[in-house]
Amino acid sequence: MTRIKCSKLRGKKPDELQKQLTELRQELNTLRVGKVTGSGGAQKLGKIRNVRKSIARVLIVTHQTTKENLRSLYHGKKYKPKDLRQRKTRAIRRLLTPKEKSIRLKKVQRQQWAFPQRTYAVKA
Amino acid sequence: MAPKKDTKETSATTKTKDTAVTASAKKTTKPAGSATTTTTKVVTKERKEKVQTKALKAKQRVVRGNKLTRNRKIHLKPTFRRPFTLRLQRQPKYPRRSVPKRNRLDHFAIVKYPLTTESAMKKIEDNNTLVFIVNIRANKPMIKQAVKKMYDVEAEKINTLIRPDGEKKAYVRLKADHDALDVANRIGII
Repeated sequence: MTRIKCSKLRGKKPDELQKQLTELRQELNTLRVGKVTGSGGAQKLGKIRNVRKSIARVLIVTHQTTKENLRSLYHGKKYKPKDLRQRKTRAIRRLLTPKEKSIRLKKVQRQQWAFPQRTYAVKA
Repeated sequence: MAPKKDTKETSATTKTKDTAVTASAKKTTKPAGSATTTTTKVVTKERKEKVQTKALKAKQRVVRGNKLTRNRKIHLKPTFRRPFTLRLQRQPKYPRRSVPKRNRLDHFAIVKYPLTTESAMKKIEDNNTLVFIVNIRANKPMIKQAVKKMYDVEAEKINTLIRPDGEKKAYVRLKADHDALDVANRIGII
């Protein structure tokens, strides 16, 4: 069996990938039956691993492309699904945003503008 | 013109609090004056209408009285049950999960492989049943559907048991119009 490559899979359409997935799974099923009945031999038994990994590849590609499409769909929107938001850590997500932190009283703003911290230097 | 003005003035005088009305009363007296003489100020039509509506409203309020108390419901029973309130349906602004979870227990995952032991063979020949090792989380109706989808056979009944090594075994008795032997050949068991 030829090795399925992810790069080849990414070009395919989603329904094509689905079809390939069902084919692979059926093949795996027959191989498993063969394993139990004792037919085939070493070659067929080794094939099981290849098929399992191919199934994994197809699923990876399917999932990655759908996620990518969804991210571009929700790009720039205010409300995104939670798994498309930044993960970071729970505590960091609950911190004040940089904008919220930089809010100052009007009085304080004026003071800072009028009396900034000066630095002096002595001329040698 | 004169009688209408009289009623306005009486209503105005009864409501001592309303300064606007007293002001309007003052205003109304003026045109009376202007009707006779031409020296006083001319009152515009809009101003007159506004004054008239204000006076009318004051009169109405006097007639009906200030509603300080609400209509209170009479409770005839000692218990108070929460009344039905508005229950809105959810209108989420975003789906919580971007992609819905995929079903991991689909028919490929349910039926693992058929058994080919001697007793299983006996079952195929004598009882028209196939014996499968099945996912332990599958139940009988699931197994029935899975077998139907995978091997195109209708099951009459399914018996399951959990083996000591933790796997689930399913005895799938096929309907009379299917022959277990043929199906087994087709699958590859024999």
